[in-house]
Amino acid sequence: MKSHVYQRLLAMQASRRNVLKGAVGAGALALGSASGLATLVPRASAQGSLRAEMLKIPGVGAGSPTDADWQKVGELCLGGTKATVQEGEFAGVQLTFMGLNNQNLHNFLFRGFLKPWEAYTGARINWIDLAQADYNARLQQSIATGTVDFDILQMGAPFEGDVCGKGLASVMPDWVRDLIEMDDYVGYLKEPVGTWDGKTYRISIDGDCHNFNYRTDYFENEDFAKAWKDEGHAGDWAVPTTWQQVQEVTKFLKGKTIDGFPANGYLDPLKGWGGFGFYFLASRATAYAKHPDDSAWLFDPDTMKPRVNNEAWVRAIQDVLDVMDAQPPDQINADPGTTGFQQFLAGTGSMLSWWGDIGSSAKTSDSSIVGDVIGFSTLPGSDDVWNHKAGKWETLSSGPNFAPNMAYIGWGVYVMARVDSDSKKQKAAWSAAAHLGGKDISLWCAAYPSGFQPYRNSHFNIPEWVEAGYDEAFIDDYLSSEADSYNHPNAAIEPRIPGIFQYYSVAEDELAKTYAGQYASAQEGADKIAEAWERITDQIGRDNQIKLYKASLGI
Amino acid sequence: MQDVSPSHSELDDIVAAEPALENRGRWGVLVLAGGTFVLVSTFAIQLLHANGSIAFGFDTWRPVVYAYLVWAVSLGASQVLRRGQAGSRALFVLPAVLFIAAMVIFPLTFGLYISFTDWNLSSFEGRKFNGLDNLRQMMSDVFYWNALLNMLWYSLAVLVEYAIAFGLALLLHAEIRARKFFRVVFLLPLMLSPVAVSWMVGKSMMEIRFGPLANLARWLGWETPIFFSDPWLAKASIMVMDAWTFIPLMMIMLLAGLQTLPKEVMEAAKVDGATAWQTFWKIVFPLTLPVSITAIMIRIIFKLKLADIIINVTSGGPGGATDSVTSFIFREYRDRSNVGYGTLLAMVYLVIIVVALTTLLNLLGRWMRGYGQEES
Amino acid sequence: MIVAEETEVDYVEPVQNPAERLRRILVRMLIYGILILWAVICLFPIYWTVTTSFKIAPDVMRSHLVPFYDFMPQWLGWRSLGLSPETIFETSTVREEFLRRFWNSVLTSVSASFLAIVIGSLAAYGLTRFSYKFGPMRNKDISFFFLSQLILPPVVLALPFLVLYKELALLDTSIGLILLYTLMVLPIVIWIMRDQFRAIPVELEEAALVDGLSIWGAFLRIVLPISVPGMVAAFILALILCWNEYFFAALLTSTDAKTLPVMVASQTGSQGINWWAMAALSTAAIGPLVIVGILLERYIIAGMATGAVK
Repeated sequence: MKSHVYQRLLAMQASRRNVLKGAVGAGALALGSASGLATLVPRASAQGSLRAEMLKIPGVGAGSPTDADWQKVGELCLGGTKATVQEGEFAGVQLTFMGLNNQNLHNFLFRGFLKPWEAYTGARINWIDLAQADYNARLQQSIATGTVDFDILQMGAPFEGDVCGKGLASVMPDWVRDLIEMDDYVGYLKEPVGTWDGKTYRISIDGDCHNFNYRTDYFENEDFAKAWKDEGHAGDWAVPTTWQQVQEVTKFLKGKTIDGFPANGYLDPLKGWGGFGFYFLASRATAYAKHPDDSAWLFDPDTMKPRVNNEAWVRAIQDVLDVMDAQPPDQINADPGTTGFQQFLAGTGSMLSWWGDIGSSAKTSDSSIVGDVIGFSTLPGSDDVWNHKAGKWETLSSGPNFAPNMAYIGWGVYVMARVDSDSKKQKAAWSAAAHLGGKDISLWCAAYPSGFQPYRNSHFNIPEWVEAGYDEAFIDDYLSSEADSYNHPNAAIEPRIPGIFQYYSVAEDELAKTYAGQYASAQEGADKIAEAWERITDQIGRDNQIKLYKASLGI
Repeated sequence: MQDVSPSHSELDDIVAAEPALENRGRWGVLVLAGGTFVLVSTFAIQLLHANGSIAFGFDTWRPVVYAYLVWAVSLGASQVLRRGQAGSRALFVLPAVLFIAAMVIFPLTFGLYISFTDWNLSSFEGRKFNGLDNLRQMMSDVFYWNALLNMLWYSLAVLVEYAIAFGLALLLHAEIRARKFFRVVFLLPLMLSPVAVSWMVGKSMMEIRFGPLANLARWLGWETPIFFSDPWLAKASIMVMDAWTFIPLMMIMLLAGLQTLPKEVMEAAKVDGATAWQTFWKIVFPLTLPVSITAIMIRIIFKLKLADIIINVTSGGPGGATDSVTSFIFREYRDRSNVGYGTLLAMVYLVIIVVALTTLLNLLGRWMRGYGQEES
Repeated sequence: MIVAEETEVDYVEPVQNPAERLRRILVRMLIYGILILWAVICLFPIYWTVTTSFKIAPDVMRSHLVPFYDFMPQWLGWRSLGLSPETIFETSTVREEFLRRFWNSVLTSVSASFLAIVIGSLAAYGLTRFSYKFGPMRNKDISFFFLSQLILPPVVLALPFLVLYKELALLDTSIGLILLYTLMVLPIVIWIMRDQFRAIPVELEEAALVDGLSIWGAFLRIVLPISVPGMVAAFILALILCWNEYFFAALLTSTDAKTLPVMVASQTGSQGINWWAMAALSTAAIGPLVIVGILLERYIIAGMATGAVK
């Protein structure tokens, strides 16, 4: 039934922007949703009230949730565990969980969520907390030196090649599959993501894509609109929908002010981030490089020859270079996290590509001041797209080419194969993982600062969010940008091959040098990346990489 | 190494070493043989077990450590038994020697081996020997040479730190009120962890939007106080942060040196009518020169390990301008799991700094003799 | 100029010449000016860290400085560690985590420093009092062997230690970290203690030996008590280095033995930084050493002064 609501939403969002322009339209939408809710969601049902009760912890606008809140949520969502595990069944079991240590997110949440689970089952969990930038290094080290010292692992799909490909993960038992309702996942998270050689390994706890965040107050600003006309720019002053427009707007905003503060256009995170920084360039490049007729965009699937120095990528790098002087002054040494959370959420800059957590933090985080002036859409497109096979730029008859970047494909929880020898421990590990990947708990994670974004069809049930205290127009805008990206036919999905973060990391380093002016041109920087990528491919084993890359593309 | 034979020295002359009894000597040999047997057999068993040659063995190599301890104890005991007094003198240094040998020899040897392999942690085949390829790659790696050059600049900054530290030490040594208060306060930065300093100073206080240092700079007339965008400025900012935490170390060493200066000399200078300036250059500076040299050398050694602040604040940016060798290798090693190449770079670095420091020490020694001082 | 004054107390000595007197006052002002300026430079970052831990986002963004004057202190940062008044008595997963890291740091750094003092003092004493010959190595060479360990950049040993510790099952154990830290600070301890023992007159032990004490007896009963200040100095320096060590702790520990600096460094991620929480954690991480520094400061300089100039 929830998917029904979701379908309705999808149908609605085509005209979303028009609808939202008028208050009448917004009212109509609210009416429509409310009636849909009344007929489709049995509000008196135990689950419904649980979800509603859960979403009131601590309540939107009540500041960031704390440890006590996480424990409460964990307690509320213990139903699935109680149905499958006897009280005290895992007494004496010790599990180790490795995950991210983002302040007040990730492992912090998991600890709170799992506290009631530990109390009920009798198991005990030890924690390995990693900074985001340390994550890839630590994981690779564990794999290479054979020191897998954890039982449960929070991991992104790009690493599946490293972990599942080497037989380190435990295959998901059927009872878990039923418990977490995998059918509820959005399309692109279903197989083959989460599987390797036909076996399922992953409990998704997150869906990832970059969407386009912008400041509505900038694009409703009349001074800008007037100046835009006066300076002879084409079209109306509006939210850009292609990268060409993003560039134009960013250059236009340079040196202007808004409410007395310097105005900035698109924010490019320029500093490395343990590999994660490469996604920001990729988000700029996918519209240029991902041709609808070609599923590959990072490498040639037959030879693993990098495409990162082709004209599409070089143009994306050049774009970054072109607007570097329009960035906030400290940009070159600003961590990407700074750009997202201390610049954009704190009011600097008007456009940004980021994962969905900017949206979910905009209203609920202590540091955000843009909650009321933030808008969302899928990533911008491009007027023309590079056809790598033909070696030329093409203009599609359907209009601009869009290719949302499914950056990182989301976090999942994996159980390690080392628990398989002990059936009690294995059940305990999977039970803990299933608790975190449960359907209800995930809704809370999507709605509050958690580091995770919506990934189930049931997350797109807007009335639930509204009841939790979200502004309807805001949440509709946000969720649609996510859903549109997830379901886009030309979505750019990254390869799940071993060592993928090494490629990203070396690219980051070379990009940093390019941005700092160490190389003569964007092309030279891109060539350096390609050169380094070739070296990594040879080190890891070219034939194997080709095989795995093709498999991940479904060729 | 077993040949530990203290020859005579100051204290040896006081009590003549008693003649080692035949009997005790034999026991000593026996004890050592027993300890050696335990060590060798444990090692052999474990080696064969690890090879898969025999089923009997231990899960880990840890028993070998215990066996090493047994052997070390037996070595000590045999020294006492065989050499009496001389043996018990050897016991003073043996623990440190055995400890360092155990902790350094294997890692260095193994490190030397992997520096000649092609080892990417993600590779399915594991490490392969690749001869001098890593060395060749290093030769053409301009950013490694750039990092080495940066180390030179960072090391030169020690001289400035030294001047400041000396000044502060002189101030603290002068007749001042609340001397204890100032001494404690000046020492505090040394206590702070570089990681915390990176965050709270490098990223918070120097933040362009709200950082108090940025605000101060703005108030002083610098319109866009960006500490890390211009290569030289970024380098200087790193130097300042590092200096801030380590000046106190040099300062207390120099202060300690000043406090041991003989008062009579100073008074004599005063009576002779020497000006403060002359007193400093003719008396204080030469007399504290050995301490100064030690302080500078220790500081340079610490400086050569500089990494935490760079890793946390700039990651070597912009474009490698602030990279230290350690932070550069750290990225090669950690972010790209390129262990073989990274280890080679580290080994080369080790060779370079050993050569550089030895040369420096020799030069200083020669110069100090010229200054009429004995090398410490 | 400052040095010239140190042997006399200027306000006792009458000064006749007004020009000279003016000069003296100016010099005094300059001296205190520099002292106060440097004190501010030393203290402000600590002040900033502590106050930031009581701020909330808008206070950070508006760079407020003075509590109660331009911002009201809040417990937000400390709440994220489970150490604020309203959370301190409740079950808190974050506090448990913090306390474990804190305890690990205490255990590791104190044990390693202690071990280094024991081994290092023995070696230093031996090297200053006896002549050794280990094969071709004489005292000078042995000393150099010890001190040269100081030069080893940690990054050289990183991966070998990982492999070694894995084989020895010492990964993620406090023992493993303690051994490594001992190795790291041993050269410094030997260096300080060697100067210490050199400053103690040999006649003391000679008298003791004549009285019938063994060399170990003389060392333990006569020399050791005299050299306590130096040991305290060496201990504090070792403690500082161990407590703040990040590189190896990040590499070799994961759960059981993880220390505070690793926890501080891993506070960042995809969501930017919560300054108040970061500041609270930093305050907690630097607090113990600051207290140690304030209480034991006099020993450091006294200890170093004993042997620094020969």
